Amino acid sequence: MRHHPLTAILARLGTFLLVMVVLSLMIFTLARVVPGDPARMALGPAATPEQVQALRLQMGLDQPVVVQYLAYITKALHGDLGTSLVSQRPVTTDLAQTVPATVELVLVSVVFMFLVAIPLGVVTAHYRDRALDHGGRILSLTGVTIPSFLFAITLQLLAARVPGGWPIIGRLDHGLGWQGGPTGFLILDGLLAGRLDVVGSALQHIALPAFALSMAGIGQITRITRSSMIENQRKDHVLTLQSFGVPERVIIFRYLLKLSSIAPLTIMGLEFASLIGNAFVIEMIFAWGGFASYGLNAILQKDLNAVTAVVLVAGLFFIVANLVVDVLISIIDPRMRRKEAL
Amino acid sequence: MMRDTLLSVENLSVDFTSYGRTRQVLRDVSFAVAAGERVALIGETGSGKSVTAKAIIGTLPRNATIRTGQILVEGRNVLDLPRAGREALKGTAFSLIMQDPLSSFNPVFRIGTHLDDVMRFADRRNGIATSRAERRSRIAAVLRRVQLADAERVMNAYPFELSGGMRQRVLIGLALLHQPKLLIADEPGTALDVTTQDEILNLINSLVSEENMALLMITHNLGVVRKVSDRVVVMHHGDIVETGPCRTILSEPAKDYTRALLDAVPALYGPRVIDMAQSDRAPIVRISNLNKIYGRRNGYHAVRDVNLTLREGEIFGLAGESGSGKTTVARMIMGLLRPTSGELMIDAPAPAKGRRLTQIVYQNPGTSLNPKRTVRQTLTLPLKSIGMQGDAREARLIELMGLVRLPQSYLAKYPHELSGGQKQRVAIARALAAEPKILILDEPTAALDVSVQKTVIELLVQLREELGLTYLMISHDLSLMRNFCSRIAVMLRGEIVEEGATPAVFAAPSHPYTRALIAAIPVVSDVEEREKPVVTEEERMRFLVKSTD
Repeated sequence: MRHHPLTAILARLGTFLLVMVVLSLMIFTLARVVPGDPARMALGPAATPEQVQALRLQMGLDQPVVVQYLAYITKALHGDLGTSLVSQRPVTTDLAQTVPATVELVLVSVVFMFLVAIPLGVVTAHYRDRALDHGGRILSLTGVTIPSFLFAITLQLLAARVPGGWPIIGRLDHGLGWQGGPTGFLILDGLLAGRLDVVGSALQHIALPAFALSMAGIGQITRITRSSMIENQRKDHVLTLQSFGVPERVIIFRYLLKLSSIAPLTIMGLEFASLIGNAFVIEMIFAWGGFASYGLNAILQKDLNAVTAVVLVAGLFFIVANLVVDVLISIIDPRMRRKEAL
Repeated sequence: MMRDTLLSVENLSVDFTSYGRTRQVLRDVSFAVAAGERVALIGETGSGKSVTAKAIIGTLPRNATIRTGQILVEGRNVLDLPRAGREALKGTAFSLIMQDPLSSFNPVFRIGTHLDDVMRFADRRNGIATSRAERRSRIAAVLRRVQLADAERVMNAYPFELSGGMRQRVLIGLALLHQPKLLIADEPGTALDVTTQDEILNLINSLVSEENMALLMITHNLGVVRKVSDRVVVMHHGDIVETGPCRTILSEPAKDYTRALLDAVPALYGPRVIDMAQSDRAPIVRISNLNKIYGRRNGYHAVRDVNLTLREGEIFGLAGESGSGKTTVARMIMGLLRPTSGELMIDAPAPAKGRRLTQIVYQNPGTSLNPKRTVRQTLTLPLKSIGMQGDAREARLIELMGLVRLPQSYLAKYPHELSGGQKQRVAIARALAAEPKILILDEPTAALDVSVQKTVIELLVQLREELGLTYLMISHDLSLMRNFCSRIAVMLRGEIVEEGATPAVFAAPSHPYTRALIAAIPVVSDVEEREKPVVTEEERMRFLVKSTD
């Protein structure tokens, strides 16, 4: 071991920083290259050319892109992402309201993925090439091939038939009189405030969109878990434990599961990209009010500052998720810790 | 003296079914192991020796069926026992020492976790309730029995943090946890260096005699048989060929198969040894002060001031254990690695486009041939790269197959349709395709059975004469090198410690490490054992890698 583990983590963070810089540069330039004058779009067709020109100067659009970028980054580092042209509020304020909704949705769907996919993967691996395995395969394929919006709509149709009613849009019952909490995560805020009715309602609301969002991931992760389990089952170390009479359930749930969770975790990290992408659709269908729907509006309106911010937040989210996955894997696999430390 | 029969296998027949086809892998196998007796089960790949062990332990794969026979452990037929009864025997009546010390541990769990779980569940089956701390001290005591003094460190280590020898010791400890009456050892030490293997075999021997255990040793190595067994059972294609006392089987075998097996073992000393002729032709490879350091700062010094000269037409052996730097030297000669410093000259006219002066034959033909490509496709690639087209290429393909003594029809086969020896022949043909001058043989027979090894070595000797090749062989198998190489150099920690004509080096090895290496080779006759050089304990401590922590 020549380097301290901390050096490895710092190096990793450095890489992530670089990714963020490149990402911001690309989206910043792209947003300014595509046709359409943002100032004109913000002011509407009724505005005079003088008004448009004034706004352009105010936004700094007459300056070279490099100068604009540097100005943007300097402000961004001070927590100022500019003003949304559409909502006329600071972008940070808009994000603070919308990001928690999306993060909550994505995290709950990740929980769904693990709760469903890992056990299903273990079971199908154990009963491989039998009826249960074939059933699991069909289920996985269905999850991967059918687009998530179709699930979303189907779930809404089914929910509408639940006796007593099941919420199919929004994040919370308005009748509860909830004023919002410190984090913006309804489940967490509800728990912090001791309002179990809020938690219950939030869970009820989030169940359908989170499930619809997780279907594709469930299919993939089930298959990865299954093949990883089967591959590891053939290894000598399983035979060693069998030869000494360690019970099958201990071999499967303790030894094999830990070793076989590395591959699905890696896939999980990559899955975040498509989760965020799919969230754009799911949020529209369930009127979720997250930052995906905010981003969609921003793109359609050519709201420059909002678009840039949304892309950066999505990128940051993906990077943080993968950092977490890396840390988890290095906790599971001691060889990874050693490799990083080298 | 009659001793109680501990294990008795009677008329055991086992079938394997795969893809709807049934294959008989054991036919009427019968043998017995008495209490305290050491029995070796010997055979080549596919002889059924490992299947026999698995049948005894009860870890046959799902597609196996026991057709007839019984397995009696202390008079009880274990095949009739209920599942729980069978599990109860594991670790207590008999236990298994696994072959590969690395893959036998789950890489993401500590060594101690494996040991503790094995002990915990065996205790539970025996109706003993134990605390974690109590088990830990019992495990530590067992680890000290296998000469791992710092038991605490071993238990807290992950498998990859221990050396191969230490892991093998832990595997032996695992088998000893519940004082079994019978130890079943599946090729222990085969995956280790020869000096470490020697230590492991000594350890097993002393444990077996001290604890008065019986040993069923499964091996393909006749030298190992002589070292650790009283009686030998020879198996071939699922049949028992012959059974007898170790001394008789090794000195005057009754069956042709056993005799052929013994003949195929390269001799270390005595009249069966072959001396290869020295080459007096011009040097073809000249290496001076060659160094290789991996990594930039404080890198690993893999090769240190190596000087070598290979003469045209000779078979030069580079011997050494894992990590000695022999493969690094070979890679630098091939031009696959750049030396950190020093000179490396190959005295031959520069090759034409696409051709190379050197080619390599790898250790394991099972992994060095692409499983998705036919022999024809594999051999065509190098021919294409030297620009050979159409009829000329076709003729060359046929010529190559002839060179390695394979029928033309094999061009259409995929690697999985070939035996290990045939695959290695294809690998040799591939190396020869673009007409190299020097062939590097990286343990070319390590993955093969001895009888197959013999034929591959014979082929290589003939090819060298027919084609005027120069060989550089890298190996840790000194008995093979004794008979195949005209000159030999021994590497230790990146340095050459001894070099000379093979007969001279073996007659009077000057470096203690060379002596230790030769002394550790398991041989098949007492005569050879006596001729081995003597190594003092002090020398052993100085030059051998410790596997005892």
